[in-house]
Amino acid sequence: MKRKLGALVTGFALTASLLAGCGNSNANDPNTITFWTPLTGEDGAYMDNLVKAYNDTNPAVKVKHVVTADMYTKISTVLSSGKGVPDLAIIHADRVPGYVKQNQLEAMTTVMQAQPELKEDNFLPQAWGAGNIDGTQYTIPLDIHANVMYYNKDLLAKYGAESFLDDNNVTVDEILSLKGKLDEGDYVVNDALLGWAMLGQIQNLNGDIQKDGKPAVDTPEMKTAIEDVKKINDAGLMTPFGEDGYLMFQSGNVLFSTDGTWSSTAHASVENLNFGVTNVYSVSPDKFTNRSSSHLFAMFNNEKRLDEKEKGIASFLEFIRANSVEWAKAGQIPASKQVVDSPEFSEYMQSFFTKDEKEIESLYIYTYEYYPYIAEAVDKYVGDLVRGNLPIDEGLKTMQKEVEDKIAESNGAAAKSGE
Amino acid sequence: MKKKLNLAPVFFVGPHLILFLVFVVIPTIYGIYASFTQWNLAGSPNWVGFSNYSTILFDTTSTFHTQFFNGLKNTLLFVLFTVPPLIVLPLMIAVALSHKKLKGKTFIQSVLYVPGLISISASALIFTLIFNKQLGITGNVFGSTIAWATHQPYAWITIILLTIWGGIGGNMIIYRASISGVSEELYESAELDGAGPIRKFFSITLPSINFPLIYTFVMTTAGAFNVFGQPLMMTDGGPQQSTSVLMMYIRQLAFGSGESIAGMASAMAVLLGLVILVISALQYYVMNRNAN
Amino acid sequence: MMSNQVMNLDKSAVAVGRKRTKVSVSQVVAYVFLGLLCLIWIVPVIFGITTSFRSQTEVVSAGFRLLPVNWIMDNYTAILENTSTAPILRWLTNSVVIATSHTLLVVVVISLTGYGYARMKFRGRNVLFFTLLGISFFPGVVNLIPSYKIIDALGWVNTSWAMIIPGLAGMGNIFLVRQFMLGIPKDLDESAKVDGASDFRIYFSIMLPLIKPVLIVCALFSFTGSWNDFLWPVIVYTDVDKMPVTAGLLLLQDIYGNYRMIGQLMGSAILAIIPTLALFLFAQKYFVQSINLNSGIKG
Repeated sequence: MKRKLGALVTGFALTASLLAGCGNSNANDPNTITFWTPLTGEDGAYMDNLVKAYNDTNPAVKVKHVVTADMYTKISTVLSSGKGVPDLAIIHADRVPGYVKQNQLEAMTTVMQAQPELKEDNFLPQAWGAGNIDGTQYTIPLDIHANVMYYNKDLLAKYGAESFLDDNNVTVDEILSLKGKLDEGDYVVNDALLGWAMLGQIQNLNGDIQKDGKPAVDTPEMKTAIEDVKKINDAGLMTPFGEDGYLMFQSGNVLFSTDGTWSSTAHASVENLNFGVTNVYSVSPDKFTNRSSSHLFAMFNNEKRLDEKEKGIASFLEFIRANSVEWAKAGQIPASKQVVDSPEFSEYMQSFFTKDEKEIESLYIYTYEYYPYIAEAVDKYVGDLVRGNLPIDEGLKTMQKEVEDKIAESNGAAAKSGE
Repeated sequence: MKKKLNLAPVFFVGPHLILFLVFVVIPTIYGIYASFTQWNLAGSPNWVGFSNYSTILFDTTSTFHTQFFNGLKNTLLFVLFTVPPLIVLPLMIAVALSHKKLKGKTFIQSVLYVPGLISISASALIFTLIFNKQLGITGNVFGSTIAWATHQPYAWITIILLTIWGGIGGNMIIYRASISGVSEELYESAELDGAGPIRKFFSITLPSINFPLIYTFVMTTAGAFNVFGQPLMMTDGGPQQSTSVLMMYIRQLAFGSGESIAGMASAMAVLLGLVILVISALQYYVMNRNAN
Repeated sequence: MMSNQVMNLDKSAVAVGRKRTKVSVSQVVAYVFLGLLCLIWIVPVIFGITTSFRSQTEVVSAGFRLLPVNWIMDNYTAILENTSTAPILRWLTNSVVIATSHTLLVVVVISLTGYGYARMKFRGRNVLFFTLLGISFFPGVVNLIPSYKIIDALGWVNTSWAMIIPGLAGMGNIFLVRQFMLGIPKDLDESAKVDGASDFRIYFSIMLPLIKPVLIVCALFSFTGSWNDFLWPVIVYTDVDKMPVTAGLLLLQDIYGNYRMIGQLMGSAILAIIPTLALFLFAQKYFVQSINLNSGIKG
């Protein structure tokens, strides 16, 4: 009995002493670059390989790669406490305007001075441009990852649809021409990343999601895009609403799958799936667009980050620029022209999108400051709109209002933090 | 002697009280403060008084008003659909398991408890596959041709089934522990009076476990109000936002892909907290009065 | 309390005779009910487990099969081989350390606090209790930010304390212990008090043994809880090596989001439940331990 009592008291003493506070974190080691990425899963392993290869060159400052699920939430917490801010991070293209507006990113000026090859000419233009706000370069790009369209070669042959691929532009009209010709249970296209595909159509119709800095969701272009894609649904050629179109493509029941560059490895793991990749279908015969995003290297504001460290970061980024063909294994398109033009890269399926200027141009990254709100609204409503569950005019009005309301709130918050 | 009496409660509840102040009260107060501001999580919050609340509650043209009431309605539906089965089913199981002559109790108990241990993303995936027309049970075994996730009432059914499947374990073992504390003699004497199993349940088991029962009612309800994982993974709030629960909207506002709208999200969270508070207080009051 | 032993003896012979037919009906009902339920409950579990042994090709091939045609280990080898970003064995050890110490402290805190709120008399006791409970009902959304700042101020970022201590402040288990103690007859401690026993003595020698089953239940809950906490560990740890397994596996589970490798997702989910399942199998003997309150009084 006494012994138990003793244990109990010890337990409390322990708790109490703990509460008094002890231990500290040493996040600001001058000889290590703390590098956060949201690259979970195998992407993280490929990035690890790159980091390891870099550290093996015995640089003055080594890189420590930390993969973080929920990285943006975690960034919010460290930014608000001001401690433990990483030296370097990978963020997505659509996050840049928001962070810049909040004054959270440090410009890449010092880094670019330290390594002259880290310059606009050496990267794919849209990936570079995604980090440029009002003439200041805030990020160095790692890759472009795009919405693309995989096709099932066997099914294309079966239905005589191989000619669709001829001009690299599969149009909605071509898709509609298969109406009534498919076996039961087969579909022409699925609804994977439908929101992305829809935002691509806006470009095909020469529209935009903003007008003079104001969000423009409820536009004639958006309406046309939805109506045209809806025709595919109404003709019974799109995988049914609520069914897993992605898996149906893998099981060989769908001719075209509109998912991401990164899915190629997963598709490749399915035996007997004989597939290739092309541009996302278009509502226009003249133009095709693959709505894209980009992983970008960025430095969050941190007074403790010394110039020495920024030089270390620069040499790491230069190493990535020269050696990131490893990154192509993750299915992505490296942003470095040197890598993209290399013979090794041409062996990857996604090199289709860098084979000529027209293809490179088709990789479209939205840089509108409030793009994330628009993308969120599109993703939320596009399914119901294309499936005819919601009148298009009403849906577009709701989306427009939703985006405007969110922007008003975010401006209210920014009014204060900008002071 | 008197001095000791005064200090003893400090020893018993004091340590927890300190922990509670530091790790619950301070963050909660901060959350309530944030609800009176416009805030993007990064900068300093911009005080706006009751503006968030009046927008949510009274501005019928606002997206946040629509979201709040749609979310609240769907959350209430979820509570109504899931709380009764999450109370009744575990209770029935625990009573059945307390049957003395039953064999394989540990096996049965484990089978019913295991789903609660599987992470929500994996459980949701299992259910998505099971309700998949081509790959699952509903299509291949029962010949259903419906896409469950996008058609009502099936969308709710999948969410409810997933919730019950993964959610009965906790209450089940609470009831098991409670029932095991009920005196055998009570049952024996009731048997002598000729009581059948149903009468024994209502006149002995139920009154004996009244206090734990209050606990499960209050906590299961509060938990159900906080739901978001199941609808998020099974239906993504659809079709047409008919399964979008309030916590989904709140989380999307605070941690969505755009700039955070944390002030509005906090105000919604505070309002949700008030709803939970009123309902659980009512539950406690009614049940506790019956218990005494 | 209310039983009459003399009568028991008298009627026991009759009771045995009557029991046989009566019991068998309720027994059949119990078997059918539980059997049916188990069947429904186990199918998704089996499907989940067997899916972790399926190739992606088989996952997407039409038709429902509870068991794989070809059992493969590839999903598990892929998970275990990825040691650079996902040191699973390390995570498992971390989890055991964190969950065990958290659970032990929880049991101490909740039993003491529960006793305080259920059995002691002090002014404002119930008001205090319900205020705390009420506060704990507010959903913590943006609370993450202040919580992180507090942990940071205490110097606990990237340490296990951030996982072990804050959870002790929870009200759920205390509420449960309190409710259990309210159900224990008052005469128990009152007679002990008359005998001059201190509160601590009553807590330790009378209450603790009586509430052992519910403490085991709470221990199980907090073990599982601290095991299954996703977001918080991601926020407080900067070293992947220090993470508990569930948070770590969340990294792996994003494979599903990015690549939809279904078998691997299932495999990682199954690896993650093994320790909690083991604890459950061990603990379930104890939380149904019959403690006879009445005999406690009589003795």
